[in-house]
Amino acid sequence: MSVSAIRRLILVGLLISIGAALSIASPSFLTLDNLMTLLQEASLTGIVAIGFTLVLITAGIDMSIGAVIAITSMVCVNFISYTHLPAYVFIPIALAGGCLIGWVNGFFITYFKLPEFIVTLATRGILAGLALIAAVKDDQGFVKNVFIQDEVFLSFGETVGPVYIVTIVFFVLAFATQLFLKRTRAGTNVYATGANPTASRLSGINTDRTLIGVYMFSGFCAALASIFLSARMMTAMPDFGIGSEMDVIASVVIGGTPFTGGVGDIWGTVIGTLFLALIKNGILKLGLSPYIQPIVIGGIIVVTVIADVWYKGFAEKRATRIARQKQALAKEGV
Amino acid sequence: MAKTKLMAMLTALLVTASGVATAQTSYKIGYLPSTVGQALTQAWRVGIENALKDKKNVTMQSLDAQMKAEIQVTMMDDFINQGYNAIILQPIDAAALTASVKKAESKGIPVITLNTDTMLPHAACVTMDDTGAGYMVAENVGKSLGGKGNVAILQSPPGAQAGVEREKGFRAALAKQYPNIKIVGAQNAQWNKDKGIEIMNSFLQVNKELDAVFAVNDNMAEGAMIAAESAGRLGQIKIWGFNGQKSTLALIEQGKITGTAYTNAYNQGGMAAKYAMDLLTGAKKKGAATEIIKVPPFAATKDTVAQIKAEDRW
Repeated sequence: MSVSAIRRLILVGLLISIGAALSIASPSFLTLDNLMTLLQEASLTGIVAIGFTLVLITAGIDMSIGAVIAITSMVCVNFISYTHLPAYVFIPIALAGGCLIGWVNGFFITYFKLPEFIVTLATRGILAGLALIAAVKDDQGFVKNVFIQDEVFLSFGETVGPVYIVTIVFFVLAFATQLFLKRTRAGTNVYATGANPTASRLSGINTDRTLIGVYMFSGFCAALASIFLSARMMTAMPDFGIGSEMDVIASVVIGGTPFTGGVGDIWGTVIGTLFLALIKNGILKLGLSPYIQPIVIGGIIVVTVIADVWYKGFAEKRATRIARQKQALAKEGV
Repeated sequence: MAKTKLMAMLTALLVTASGVATAQTSYKIGYLPSTVGQALTQAWRVGIENALKDKKNVTMQSLDAQMKAEIQVTMMDDFINQGYNAIILQPIDAAALTASVKKAESKGIPVITLNTDTMLPHAACVTMDDTGAGYMVAENVGKSLGGKGNVAILQSPPGAQAGVEREKGFRAALAKQYPNIKIVGAQNAQWNKDKGIEIMNSFLQVNKELDAVFAVNDNMAEGAMIAAESAGRLGQIKIWGFNGQKSTLALIEQGKITGTAYTNAYNQGGMAAKYAMDLLTGAKKKGAATEIIKVPPFAATKDTVAQIKAEDRW
């Protein structure tokens, strides 16, 4: 079995054992309601994390995702407050807005050859400001968080049977993206661009187009998550999603996509997202002091990543050792 | 033989019955403030704990929403899923928490909100009168300035309802009673002391004549005081805060801060806890509309601060 398959198996094992421990520790953990809320939570982060995974595979980073969530929710709430357009008209517009922001990120990164972190950090600031400007105000100019009553829009926060729609969308999107990455030429280009951009360019891959596409997809995913978030909360706030970047990054990194690019996939991200959501959900059940909770969450992330890095190093060393032994044996044979 | 069997059955029945009885009388109350790291939310917690202290069958758990509405909604879901019997909530935002409060109430969990009411009816809202207290502060400022001067406001983050209500009350009173007082600046200091220092410094640099500052909470008022003091202009500027936490009351006694709109937060937390218990024990019935319980504000200044007893300072 390959190294990545084994470490994925370990993560799944951890996921199941933590889940089992929690169901023993708290009677309310293993209830349908709780599991569905857990999946809903995971899906909201997870949809953003899918787009982010692609960015990370190209060895880039997208710090603007949180702000895209904020501005998209503001776009929707403006449509709801000031127009009579139905939700199925303005939601595609809002999603296109997310893509456009991604295009701008990608354009600045590729055309001006600027570092990804700087470009997306700048867009993050600009969008956060724009979200405040775009926010719906009351008659005295104070930001007013509108209570959304648009039925079509709110249906995005509903469930099909016991399962939240956002969860279904998350898994469908994950499946489609995984297929795209592994089975299409464009997907291979994403890996190639991350592993070695120069070699990719020389072998005829349009890396600029790949990069722009990846950032557009990241923007799209964030915008999509924003709509589900607003529908769930029945409101939109100009600071929605800002600060949630860290959860997204943690999910993707726990899932085994490194910052160095060229490797990683969506199933890892799905597991990573579930893992983080499980810890966050479980910690609330244990009755710990609120001061301790963030420390425990942070600690578990650090331990997971350390164990991961250690295992990867160990596996690589073992692989080289075995290869050397084989070589030595082969020489002796000669 | 038959007798022992009957006895055993009776005992078993009794045990189950008493088991059911204890299950019914043991309650879990959840306390979910906007953040746990503030004097006000800690004082509420103490007030709640004191009110529940002699009730052995009640457990209380608090969670930290870290000032993010998304996190608070998640935590509300968790209280609901865990089958808590009542929730005491300080909504970060009225609109954002409405759906959660509705969900809890539809599952028979009464929600008592602190300071911020939500858009749909629920059990009760125990609130400081934010608008009224803001109005009261403005009247005091106006009087002390003789109806003329320059005033600046240290605001709460955009969309934070409690802070906005305070500011609205303040502005309404000035517009109505003291039209000659000019508001020369209003900036968001994010409820924070250090941000308060930063914003106050910029106010001091821009305005050579600044007569009063209203900070919509005490943390920011303390920040403003530090900035004014280091600029050597503390004597010329009246600083008003809001909430009345212990440290600010001490600074009022020292004459460094002019005043604050004090509320007895211990009492407020206690009232919320008592209301929750009354609903759970059936001493009170839930009405169709939200019962609004107003905790009156008190203008604490150097002259009046002594009236606040040591045990009521938080």
